[in-house]
Amino acid sequence: MLALMHQNTRPTKPKRAVVVGAGGMVGGSIVQELAKSGIPTLALTRKEVDLLGSSGSDQLKSALSVDDAIVFVSAVAPAKNAAQLMANLRMAEAALAAFAAASPAHLLYISSDAIYADDANPVTERSPVAPSTTHGMMHAARELMFRSEYRGPFAALRPTLIYGARDPHSGYGPNRFRRQAAKGEPITIFGEGEEKRDHVAVEDVARLAVRILLHRSTGALNAATGVATSFHDIAHIVAHQFEPPAQVISVPRPGPRPHLLHRFFDITECFRAFPDFHFEPLEQGLARVHGEVFG
Amino acid sequence: MSKPRVGYAGMTHLGLCSAIAAASKGFATLGFDADAALVARLEAGKLPVVEPDLDDLLRVNRARMAFSADPARLQDCDLVYVAPDVPTNNSGDSDLAGLDHLLELVLVNTRADAVVVLLSQVPPGYTRAHQRVGRLLYYQVETLVFGCAVERATKPERHIIGSPEPAQPLPTALDCFLSAFGCPILPMRFESAELTKISINCCLVASITVANTLAELCERIGADWAEIAPALRLDRRIGAYSYLAPGLGLAGGNLERDLATVLRISEEYGTDTSLIRAFVGNSAHRRNWPLRILHELVLSREPQARIGVLGLAYKQNTHSVKNSPSLALIHCLTPWTLQVFDPVVPVSATPHPNAKGAASALDAAKGVDALAIMTPWPQFRELACDDLARVMRGRLVLDPYRMLDAGKAKAAGLDYRTVGVA
Repeated sequence: MLALMHQNTRPTKPKRAVVVGAGGMVGGSIVQELAKSGIPTLALTRKEVDLLGSSGSDQLKSALSVDDAIVFVSAVAPAKNAAQLMANLRMAEAALAAFAAASPAHLLYISSDAIYADDANPVTERSPVAPSTTHGMMHAARELMFRSEYRGPFAALRPTLIYGARDPHSGYGPNRFRRQAAKGEPITIFGEGEEKRDHVAVEDVARLAVRILLHRSTGALNAATGVATSFHDIAHIVAHQFEPPAQVISVPRPGPRPHLLHRFFDITECFRAFPDFHFEPLEQGLARVHGEVFG
Repeated sequence: MSKPRVGYAGMTHLGLCSAIAAASKGFATLGFDADAALVARLEAGKLPVVEPDLDDLLRVNRARMAFSADPARLQDCDLVYVAPDVPTNNSGDSDLAGLDHLLELVLVNTRADAVVVLLSQVPPGYTRAHQRVGRLLYYQVETLVFGCAVERATKPERHIIGSPEPAQPLPTALDCFLSAFGCPILPMRFESAELTKISINCCLVASITVANTLAELCERIGADWAEIAPALRLDRRIGAYSYLAPGLGLAGGNLERDLATVLRISEEYGTDTSLIRAFVGNSAHRRNWPLRILHELVLSREPQARIGVLGLAYKQNTHSVKNSPSLALIHCLTPWTLQVFDPVVPVSATPHPNAKGAASALDAAKGVDALAIMTPWPQFRELACDDLARVMRGRLVLDPYRMLDAGKAKAAGLDYRTVGVA
């Protein structure tokens, strides 16, 4: 897929944005960011539109109009097994049927960096799509479905590991570390926590999504900060946000140590697409989230 | 035979430099171009290209050098080189229509016994496909290097000739002309000669890519590529003249053209392209070195940043901006104000809406938050770090080509960054 191109050179508000999957952390942040930008927004959660239900497609179709810019972020995530993979594809299929009938003006799909090969370092938008998980394959397949069947301008935003105050998951990383420390437990890292990963604030993902709508962009963009930090360092950043600082302890890895430990991004395409966009540095973002969670 | 009369069709950078070099070897030489205005400027001694020593070489050999826009004048020539520019698009693919046209014009306007030699860069198969019954059409590998074209044209290391019958002697006019340069002559089949040119460039790209790949690693682990490269040059297997200076990827268009050609042919024949793709990928990655540092250190912190850019040409001693890293950088700096200076290329060559041309290099540095030295023009070496520190608002100096002395820059209080060192 090509790197991001703007149909609107100057930012132009769409008549309305429709966020499909507004109930989740990412969808919710995008709705908030759209409100800040003064873009009229229809936020659809599973309550309004259940894409796995028998009338999901019709529900979505009747909610849409031709001037809408759609952000599709709805997913059963992570798609860990075949059933979840297929459910996600059925959701995309239902959405496509609604888009075919309503012909909305722009479609942004919130994808994932899991579509890239594990050894793609440094990852760019031109890195080959070669997922190693069903979750990555799900996003890759949905991107392809939307790109081939939706007839309007299509963009895919591919975030790497996302953190935020409202993260419902407790996956290995800053959210779990914070919860462990808050309970007075030691923060546990696997091995020495050497793996370096890029973590992006959900608010930055949302701001990028809004910019893509304003520019009516097409193509693919990664949402990554360009800075990879080890889990060891993240654990210690989080630990020191507590008073007294939480303990960080090493526990044996659940499985054999993976051959590939790191993921780095080359984010030049983001500089090119949005020259004045800047990501919140991780330490600053984690401090902000800490403040939001604990007041 | 007496000395052949030599013609050059296409007064391009290549054609003009080669023609003047031919005159300097004592041959009566005609420079033909259909552009009458260009010919008039050449007649007046005004050269459209910037090359060290070229003006002098023309002046000294002016008596043997004629220019004309009349193709009929080619009738007098015993040997005619066809040397138009073969433009490339952004992907490096060649547009051969201009070459086809000029070759036809030359064949029509030359004698049947004249030797016609293609000098432009052509894809393998081109020369054989354009053979004519009863005509003598050869191919010669050009080794023009922008910025040292005169030296390359007057003192070539060897002549590489694509010939219909490599085992047969070369036509007398061609042999007599080539022998005047005193270097080895290597006749070979057309496809070999065409691929030799590409092979040379692939070797250069390989060296450049090695330097760029390891220079980036140096930046992360505390090594200095400037210490490593001299050690490599003393290794006979690598060589004193190898392309080991790290930079900002590939530029200029010719190397990229050959990579695109290899990719295209390899895909057609199903041969492995992974190395060539790696060259292309690394070039794109390293090109953005200044942009990444500017974002990290200045643009993310200073919304009203003013950036100085020294150099627009893709390298020193040329007016060419083809695939210039400087323009690539400027293209990504639209929200900010730029002050630009290049000794030859005007600021109007930039795509930037808010770029101001400066009167001098130091003028471009006045009041800027960061200065990027994007072309290694020799005069930028003359910049005094203390002067830069005095006139700049910020401290960051990006100097990928090491034009300034790192120690002096740091002593002047500048935040000096270059490629290949932490």
